[in-house]
Amino acid sequence: MVSGSPLGLACRLARRELRGGIGGLRVFVAALVLGVAAIAGIGSLAASLSAGISGNAKALLGGDVEAVLAYRPAGAAERVFFVHSGTVSQVTTLRAMARTAEGGRPSLIELKAVDGIYPLYGAVALSPAQPLGAALARRNGRFGAVADPAILDRLGLKIGDTIKIGEAALQLRGTIAGEPDAAASELVLAPRVMISSSALAETKLIQPGALVTYRYRLRLRPGAEAGAWVAAARAALPQAGWQLRSSAQASPGLQRLIERVALFLSLVGLTVLLVGGVGIGNAVRFHLAGKTATIATLKCLGGSTRLVFAVYLIEIMALALFAIAVGLALGALLPVAAAPALRGVLPVAARLGIYPRPLGVAALFGLLTALVFSLWPLAASGRVPAGALFRDMVERTRRRVPLTALGATAALAACLAGLAVVSAPDRAVALWFVAAAIAAFALFRAAAAAIAIGAKALGRRRSPMLRLALANLARPGAATAPVVLSLGVGLTVLVAVALVEGNLAREVETRLPQAAPAYFFIDIQPGQLAGFAAIVRGTPGASLDAVPMMRGRITRLNGVPVEHAAVAPDARWALRSDRGLTYSAHLPEGSRLVAGKWWPADYRGPPLVSFDAELARGMGLKLGDTLTVNLLGREITARIANLRRIDWQRLGINFAIVFAPGTLEHAPQTDLAAVYLPPAEENGLVRAVTERFPNVSAIPVREALAAVDRVVGTIGKAIGLTALVTVAAGALVLGGAVAAGHHRRVYDAVVLKVLGATRGMMLAGFLLEYGLLGLVTALLAGGLGSLAAAFVVIRLMRLDWVFLPAPLLWTLGLALLLTLSLGFAGTWRALGVKPAPYLRHE
Amino acid sequence: MRAGLPRRHPRLGDPWLGQHMTSSLHPGGPLVVVEDVHLTLGSAAGPVNILRGISLEIAGGETVALVGPSGSGKSSLMMLLGGLERPSAGTVRIDGKDLGGLDEDALARLRRVEIGIVFQSFHLIPTMTALENVALPLELGGDRNAFAAAARGLAAVGLGHRLGHYPAQLSGGEQQRTAIARAFIADPRLLLADEPTGNLDGATGGLVIDCLFEHQALHRTTLLLITHDASLAARCERQLKLADGRLVEDRRMAAPRRDAAHQAW
Repeated sequence: MVSGSPLGLACRLARRELRGGIGGLRVFVAALVLGVAAIAGIGSLAASLSAGISGNAKALLGGDVEAVLAYRPAGAAERVFFVHSGTVSQVTTLRAMARTAEGGRPSLIELKAVDGIYPLYGAVALSPAQPLGAALARRNGRFGAVADPAILDRLGLKIGDTIKIGEAALQLRGTIAGEPDAAASELVLAPRVMISSSALAETKLIQPGALVTYRYRLRLRPGAEAGAWVAAARAALPQAGWQLRSSAQASPGLQRLIERVALFLSLVGLTVLLVGGVGIGNAVRFHLAGKTATIATLKCLGGSTRLVFAVYLIEIMALALFAIAVGLALGALLPVAAAPALRGVLPVAARLGIYPRPLGVAALFGLLTALVFSLWPLAASGRVPAGALFRDMVERTRRRVPLTALGATAALAACLAGLAVVSAPDRAVALWFVAAAIAAFALFRAAAAAIAIGAKALGRRRSPMLRLALANLARPGAATAPVVLSLGVGLTVLVAVALVEGNLAREVETRLPQAAPAYFFIDIQPGQLAGFAAIVRGTPGASLDAVPMMRGRITRLNGVPVEHAAVAPDARWALRSDRGLTYSAHLPEGSRLVAGKWWPADYRGPPLVSFDAELARGMGLKLGDTLTVNLLGREITARIANLRRIDWQRLGINFAIVFAPGTLEHAPQTDLAAVYLPPAEENGLVRAVTERFPNVSAIPVREALAAVDRVVGTIGKAIGLTALVTVAAGALVLGGAVAAGHHRRVYDAVVLKVLGATRGMMLAGFLLEYGLLGLVTALLAGGLGSLAAAFVVIRLMRLDWVFLPAPLLWTLGLALLLTLSLGFAGTWRALGVKPAPYLRHE
Repeated sequence: MRAGLPRRHPRLGDPWLGQHMTSSLHPGGPLVVVEDVHLTLGSAAGPVNILRGISLEIAGGETVALVGPSGSGKSSLMMLLGGLERPSAGTVRIDGKDLGGLDEDALARLRRVEIGIVFQSFHLIPTMTALENVALPLELGGDRNAFAAAARGLAAVGLGHRLGHYPAQLSGGEQQRTAIARAFIADPRLLLADEPTGNLDGATGGLVIDCLFEHQALHRTTLLLITHDASLAARCERQLKLADGRLVEDRRMAAPRRDAAHQAW
């Protein structure tokens, strides 16, 4: 601090101002701490989870690099390539049915067969503790198996019992407590069972066309670089049709999930900060309103507008820096608090530590928010005339805010929006968020103005307390706008989330199961289909659809390798791994032709495909373009004959890619069957099929849906929880507004008491005011939240929209509870005030 | 003035002649009885004795000036009479009712019908128009004709053209005249005025005081007026002087200058 310089003087004066206590600025500090902590915490958590993934990348992937092949084991050329690259470990995964020796109800399992050197990195933890190799080895003529503890409950097994898989009978030797590469398989429908590669052969599950995935993990020779190996493998064996991954993308699915959730949560965090920003602006305005006399005195003594502005800017920014520091500290601690809770949910542990990037971003967000919302009232404060001291302090006219302050606020707001977009991993989503935030602010601001106008129009009510309540809502400088805005935004998010989740849950829990088949049976060998169909037809009330199925990877679009093709984000999933495909003479049920013509039933010409219309749009494909699919190492290029829109909601059998007859009939294939049957017949049918065809697996749709429902529920809870933080920020703003209005309320209460109002009357009046505020805010939030949810459900999720009253009702309840309880707390204090001191000294 | 409304408290005696009025002229005894009232308030420096044993009686229709130096306890005595403060010891009776026996809400109801108060700082409700401010005491009492009466009351103080104005849109003098209209609207038996001209300039203050006395005369209201202004005090029939929390003088004026009010109005 330079004594004598204008800045030094401003700093000194600011310090003296701070000495007087921060009083009404407590809400400012609290709102900033909450917002910065939310953004810093979410960012730190995401960073520590990403660090956890990259730190364990090799263990998560199972090797330095991995080559994944569908259907077929690596051929001779591929094996030679592996062996030359380093140490190779082979893992085979497939779905299968596990049964007990007594022949109880079979259960679907995710079977994993490993070789002797698995895992290349990390270790499998077993209970009771024993080496994996020993647990899986053949002992007394039987191979061993280890399993997820869940399978023990399902089959009623204990350690040492016999578990039958395919045609093999194995001994259950332990349960899996830790599997380093568990996150490698993306869709897990059933509990894991691990056996040795030799045991797999004994099960006889590996049949032509069976849905088997072969994973080759390599420990590269020292000095070899994973990325270079992937490029070399692609160049050396371009026809392999394999999926190559290096440990740089150890767990892309998990990484993607974390990024998505983190993006969403940090946008919610930003919402918290913006809602808090309303409280920040309000607190600064209220604080400065109390400083009118000080400012006028400063001016009388020769202080310039610039000096006054500088003094209070320094004061506010000093507090902002303090609040940001506290918020960063809390945010940095969030991963420590959340890590134990996430350990059971995610297959990877967070790597705790200080991550400067998310903290820096959060600090910048905090600083910009504090500036955007306080600059305006600060600029107005500089305009207090010296004469304010000598006139009564009633503000008769609004002080004009200089254009430079307006411009600076706009520029800072643009910086804030820019930071939100630049710091997000998905810019498009962040841009939408910025647009939505601006729209929400404008909408709620307009709504608040409408409330004020409405209250004014209704103001001439005969009941004096209702009139007082309405007048307080419409009064210039009333907290109506900030409260409706801040609380409204939080509640809107809450309503929207609840309605989207409710619609999704309803879809998954009630609507889907009604239309969906009870089971999918996979890996039915062509020779088994007749027998299988006979079993189904022999079951009362059962029916089936069966189609041939194989899996292949899309490798080229119009001849361009997919790695080089421009593909929209919402279509990329179809290129990530193998897709199921089929061939058909007729248009499949649940499909609607939207372009082109279906081929004749006896078509025998060059390869044609029918493609999903939305994927085609995402991949930039149209009728007549070509699609190249790698099937068992053979590339097949087909022309797109037509496009279909598929109704995935029916959960019946349907494929994005359907070939015309004449191309795939002789490829190795199995049949996929969807079976519809009454719940009472399920056990009997599954047992009969598994007894007769041990290689056929039954995927229970209900259980798969329940799993999806659980995931939706968990994500919904996380989102709901963060939305609650937004509501907390809104409550903070409300609390600040109630506190700021305390003097007015005490004054009203005292005068009303003098004029003969009883406490009951005044309480009713004040509660009416807050009740109206809560009611209107809740109705607005309910309406906007429902609209937002309907948009998401109908347009983005393409589901049927159903209005659910329950979330709306409890949002209304929450809003009323908040406004009434905070209003009541403030009012009760006002009513308890002794009038005499207020009337005496004025 | 309030011709449309029946008087709720028919008075006996003629205040114009009441230069030596005593309680004996008013059935039911004096309107205000204060007996050995003490008031001790806590402060940062320990308890402060504001009032130390005040006893006095005020008859119905009397006009009384309460004078004394700053801090002598004038405002505190007025707060006690208005039921806005409770004495530490002693009793205050208004129209025979012991205020000590009434709870907060009963005191509020008493003020609504019996006591009007005019403050130095006006104390209008800023979110209400002049008309609404004046109507408020009647509205609180559930009177359906509150607005008509308030409009007449405002016209009587010369503000018939300012009914829809908010306090912030009125000058100081206009605000105080609104406050006077409000204080008289319920036709109270006792009017308390605490330095009603303290925040106003001389000319405006004169207008306001004339207005006050005019109303007092028309309604025959008992008036207790706190003032520092000797000429103002002289317009009352009786002067009470407080010093250091004690009543040191109780003087009845020979010829209160009531006529001045009429000339000015």
